[in-house]
Amino acid sequence: MRPIDQLVLDENNVAFNPVVGNSYQVNDIAKEILIAIRHHKSKEDIINELTEKYDVSKEELFIDVSDFISKVKIYGLL
Amino acid sequence: MNIAISGLNNTDNPAPGIPVIKSLQDEHTLIGLSYDANEPGNFMGLCEKTYLMPYPSLGIQELKDRLIDIKEKSNIDAIIPNLDAELPLYIKYQEELENELDISLCLPSLENFELRNKNKLDTLSKTLNINHPKTFEISSIDELMECSKDLGFPLMVKGNYYKAYMSYNLDSAIDNFYKISNEWGFPVLVQEVVSGEELNLIGVADGKGELKGAVAIKKLTTTDIGKIWTGVTIQNDKLMNIAKDFVSNTKWKGPFELECIMSANGDIYLIEINPRFPAWVYFATEIGINLPKIVVDIMQGIDTPAQLEYPQNKLYVRYTGELVTDFTDLIKLLSTKEL
Repeated sequence: MRPIDQLVLDENNVAFNPVVGNSYQVNDIAKEILIAIRHHKSKEDIINELTEKYDVSKEELFIDVSDFISKVKIYGLL
Repeated sequence: MNIAISGLNNTDNPAPGIPVIKSLQDEHTLIGLSYDANEPGNFMGLCEKTYLMPYPSLGIQELKDRLIDIKEKSNIDAIIPNLDAELPLYIKYQEELENELDISLCLPSLENFELRNKNKLDTLSKTLNINHPKTFEISSIDELMECSKDLGFPLMVKGNYYKAYMSYNLDSAIDNFYKISNEWGFPVLVQEVVSGEELNLIGVADGKGELKGAVAIKKLTTTDIGKIWTGVTIQNDKLMNIAKDFVSNTKWKGPFELECIMSANGDIYLIEINPRFPAWVYFATEIGINLPKIVVDIMQGIDTPAQLEYPQNKLYVRYTGELVTDFTDLIKLLSTKEL
């Protein structure tokens, strides 16, 4: 199981990693991306879904989502 | 049962005695064993009686004489020793104390106690197939320079029993080598630094290979001297399995604490094994795993199911407190060695 699958996401947008005891404060969109990754959606799928939902260009979302996924990897969650 | 408990210090360097007492006070009569009249636990009103003890360095006969006296006065059935300094004596002479004084103990064998000495952890880790940071046992500056070439900087300079300092260059390593050797003697240990999350697990084992209870946490904040101030429970299967392997391989008996580091790739490195409860043991009690009670059950020969499930994401917060008592209590304790 990937560490990201074990994250406990609460209603206050806090993601708790029960394996090492770390907590991360995320915003609504970051939470959406985390949930999408947990559902094994590809980066492209995530970007497409967010493009349909929010008024942001695909290019901008590509940069932001890529950056977020990199951070998730740096934190050892993926 | 009448149970005597040591380690009553409750200052910024708290001992495990008070949390053990709090875990057992509802079901047992508790007697405090103190090495210093000023220890706060002597005055907290948690023990029916408190006795001053001779320092462990005075040897087994002094300890036995004092325990015979205490047994006559308070009829103690068992002792839970909680301090590093006294444990070697209790462990070495546990059979004598149990047979001659009829006092129950729940302690590891001397062989197991020595197995987890810092300078032997490497061997134990290999036996258990657990990662352990590369460690050198040294007793000279020449050896320090030699192993620093191998490890590079930063590295840890550690006492064989206590204290550890991070060294970022040779000058600070030499400085720390002298600091440690002056205070704790030789050998001095030089250890590779493993970066990652520091995790701790406390457990109790029955001496037959079964882990009877355990709780794992991460320390969130610590004091200047490294004592936990806040912490959170975690559910780390790898760490729990290491604890189970350690217990089943060694047939460890009694309390223990594993200090580990989990690296970024998920590997767990064993840093230290303490042969006693840490001072945060009441955290475990509060979330439903009463480890001191399990120790008492083992001493009484009561076989209970293993308790390894507990809520994750529970927060531990230590705080300070005050009390006021009569000065005569301190004078009485100093003059009569009991209160």
